[in-house]
Amino acid sequence: MFSNYFKLAVKVLGRRPSFTAISLFGISFTLMILILLAAFLDAELGEEQPLGNRDELVFVDRITMKLEVPDTTWQVDSTLVNGQMTYDSTEIITTSNRSFSSAMLSYSFADRHLRDVAGAKDYSIYSPTFNYDLFINGNKLTFDAVYSDERFWDIYNFEFLQGRPFRKQEVEGQAQVVVLTQKATKQYFGTDEDVLGKFMEIDNKRFELIGIVKELSNSKGFLSGQAYLPITTANPVVLNNDSFQGPFEVVFLAGSARGKEDIRQDLDRKARQIVMPNPEQYNVLELQSSDFLSRYAFSVFPRRDGPDSSQRMLFIVFGGLLLLFVLLPTLNLINLNVSRIMERSTEIGVRKAFGAHSNNILLQLVFENIVLTFLGGAIGLLLALGALYLVNDSNILPNTTLRFNVSVFLYSLLICLVFGIISGLLPAWRMSRIQIVNAIKQNQL
Amino acid sequence: MIQLKDITKVYQTKTIETTALNNINLEVPNGEFLSIMGPSGCGKSTLLNIMGMIDEPTTGVVTIAGQSVNNYHSKAVARFRNEKLGFIFQSFHLINELSVIDNVELPLIYRKASAKKRRQLAEQALEQVGLKNRMKHFPGQLSGGQKQRVAIARAIVGQPQIILADEPTGNLDSVMGNEIMNILLRLNEDHNTTIVMVTHDEMMAQKTHRLVRLFDGSQVQ
Repeated sequence: MFSNYFKLAVKVLGRRPSFTAISLFGISFTLMILILLAAFLDAELGEEQPLGNRDELVFVDRITMKLEVPDTTWQVDSTLVNGQMTYDSTEIITTSNRSFSSAMLSYSFADRHLRDVAGAKDYSIYSPTFNYDLFINGNKLTFDAVYSDERFWDIYNFEFLQGRPFRKQEVEGQAQVVVLTQKATKQYFGTDEDVLGKFMEIDNKRFELIGIVKELSNSKGFLSGQAYLPITTANPVVLNNDSFQGPFEVVFLAGSARGKEDIRQDLDRKARQIVMPNPEQYNVLELQSSDFLSRYAFSVFPRRDGPDSSQRMLFIVFGGLLLLFVLLPTLNLINLNVSRIMERSTEIGVRKAFGAHSNNILLQLVFENIVLTFLGGAIGLLLALGALYLVNDSNILPNTTLRFNVSVFLYSLLICLVFGIISGLLPAWRMSRIQIVNAIKQNQL
Repeated sequence: MIQLKDITKVYQTKTIETTALNNINLEVPNGEFLSIMGPSGCGKSTLLNIMGMIDEPTTGVVTIAGQSVNNYHSKAVARFRNEKLGFIFQSFHLINELSVIDNVELPLIYRKASAKKRRQLAEQALEQVGLKNRMKHFPGQLSGGQKQRVAIARAIVGQPQIILADEPTGNLDSVMGNEIMNILLRLNEDHNTTIVMVTHDEMMAQKTHRLVRLFDGSQVQ
């Protein structure tokens, strides 16, 4: 039966070449866009190094201090009762913000208050915000530097191309060692071969190169730098700063999804318990915690309400884009399919006269549509491969390589199938219900 | 046997009511070759369509091989049509995108026959109508008479008990028309197939066992 349907599907495609071309264009172009989008999302949000533990991470990257004071207002309601005016007054007590400050954390705050958090298997304090100008052979290079502890390398699974990360003893001993990305290594030393053990100068200090890691994509901006240095080698003034705010953030590794919730709850509890040094200036403390997705969303859509609000916005925007790219072509295809299928009403009538039930007709027409959609999908796939090559080659997304991998391929196959079924279902259902005698009479010579 | 009892068909629009068939009572015994004649618009094709269960009467009961039809959309009726009935249309209604053999196999697809069995039966049916050598051709490559022979092959491939032919020679010249008529007569004689044929051709009708005439939706003979 299906070979018969397949033969017919292929023949029907050739019946009206212009219709077929429009349908195929619609499908293939849409699929190309969707595959590109899927590849982009995979690069941004996938579990590629160093975010293999992505789903177990909780970030604390912001501390907010406020001065909240009670604000009393009176509400007076007047009513005329038995000719006399009566007054009902209500005292409404709210709080208002007199001042507000939000910034990253200081090392001393993180070290003192965020060591033992319930639900956390491990944690790391690091700073992604330093940059240094380096001069090589008269040329200036600007390197972004990340200062971190040794636990940073346990939580983030960087791919080491050569060498190793710095260890606990090296951090405690303020050893001047450095890990560079491959590109940074080539920029500084001119090559990435036989360079381990060599020295480079950063912030007027000599650091020994002990490891070379693979480049990160742009989206990992919150921990992607060119150079990674032990936190204890940072400027002592910055390290020993006693205030709550500074240039550091903390990442916690939970053992499970439940652990993430425990971490966030414990952070809220700690924030309420911390004694403010100057309550006349700030009397309320809030720690902004987020998981990976909301952290990413916050970097794309920074919202005053915090990362969770940003994540909602991200879903709305991406959902809207997806709907646009899937719904519009699907509606178009449904339209095209209605006219294609109505042309075949006589054939449908004859099939039913010879024993086809409505479900047989539905199956046949949806099958034909799936064939068309997979053909469009194959063309879309080729277009997408070409587009991926062009995007990567042109460096439109610096430090980001879009890949066509198995998950992207499976998503696109699934989209093909859903496309085929949805855009064929409605017109096929309408046609399958048509009375036999009416179907045969249509298009009669 | 086909039994039509008190069959009426009324077409209703917002303003007009048209009676296509008015209280028709008719029995067609097994193995009979019946012709239905009448002027254009008298309800011949409507009557044939109702017999074939591809149209519903407004009132009345259709009984075929002892089974009355209640729900025209059910799977049981579709299966019944597939197993017991074969249709031949004036305009042939072959599927142009399929080859001759694929067209003939069509009823067997819905019988869930294996590909091998389908092919075997289709070749036999084409042999019966003298077109086995054209089985890889497409309808566009055939003459009118050849197309109608393919349509006959399609109608008989499932060995139905009843064939309903709506002006099978209407679009053919007299030579081809005679050829088709001979095939139908042979089917009826050799296989005892019940055939009900709508025709305008008096000479063709005289070759059948019985003639029923309709006028303005009513049976007059």
